[in-house]
Amino acid sequence: MRTIINSVKLFWLILAVPGLAMLHGWWTGAIETMDMLHPTGETSARLMIAAMLVGPLAGVLGQRKWLMWLLARRRSLGVAAFAYAVAHLVFYAIDMGSLEAILGELPIASIWIGWLALALMLPMALTSNQAAMKLLRAAWKRVQQLAYPAAVLTLLHWWWVHDGATAALVHFAPLALLWLLLALRKLNKSQPSPQAGV
Amino acid sequence: MRSLIFAAAFGLASAAALSTATPAEATGKVKCQAGPQSGWKNVEALKAQLTKDGWKVTKAKVDGGCYEVYGVLPTGEKVEAYFHPVSFEKLYVAQRGKVLFRKSGY
Repeated sequence: MRTIINSVKLFWLILAVPGLAMLHGWWTGAIETMDMLHPTGETSARLMIAAMLVGPLAGVLGQRKWLMWLLARRRSLGVAAFAYAVAHLVFYAIDMGSLEAILGELPIASIWIGWLALALMLPMALTSNQAAMKLLRAAWKRVQQLAYPAAVLTLLHWWWVHDGATAALVHFAPLALLWLLLALRKLNKSQPSPQAGV
Repeated sequence: MRSLIFAAAFGLASAAALSTATPAEATGKVKCQAGPQSGWKNVEALKAQLTKDGWKVTKAKVDGGCYEVYGVLPTGEKVEAYFHPVSFEKLYVAQRGKVLFRKSGY
């Protein structure tokens, strides 16, 4: 039982389930192409947030067993976030119908910011394997740190394309909260207490 | 203890995130105080009028007490637009969040 739960393949399958459900709905005509944009984008953002939460959560809560379990699967979360983002783009392209129409929307802030977010995710996804990790050494971490600007761009894309902030902000709030908490901790530690010099 | 409080706060924030994530909620972009729906004109009439004006209507529904229409303008832009359900007056048009038109007062 434990080996099944811990298998990476099962984890991949779980990550693929929402996407398969969406594809099935679209294929059978239950979901219009236009309506594929929101769920694919939202799932991508959720997975991205989840992947980015694991590290700081472990920083705040300590090395909990379930967190270590997730930490070992953080790469899968990140790659899945990218896969859903690509699906988001594919359905956007299908919905737009022509390259001309796609280029026509490029000057709109929400749209080019979405493109930029995906562009930042691409090198992360391409280097999410052992071979790239070995090859890039220290630079590998810098590539993966693209997640921070990508997350900010994703938030802006979501916010502006919907002309409404609530859903986007609520999704990113846990991440912001954790970063704030960790930053405060760091600040606390780096400032010696008044008694320290005595 | 601190980590327990933190875990509780974090759980609450996450639950709030998931509960507001339903796609069907009113977006609050535009609100129409148009009275009961029995006094509204039929949405099919709005679609027909827009089609006559050269729009391509993809979808129409009710949002914020207005008719919300997804479609393509005669000039080719894919837009989301709001109309008053009684007068059919155009209140708001946006292309991917970029506001192309907003009637003053709305």
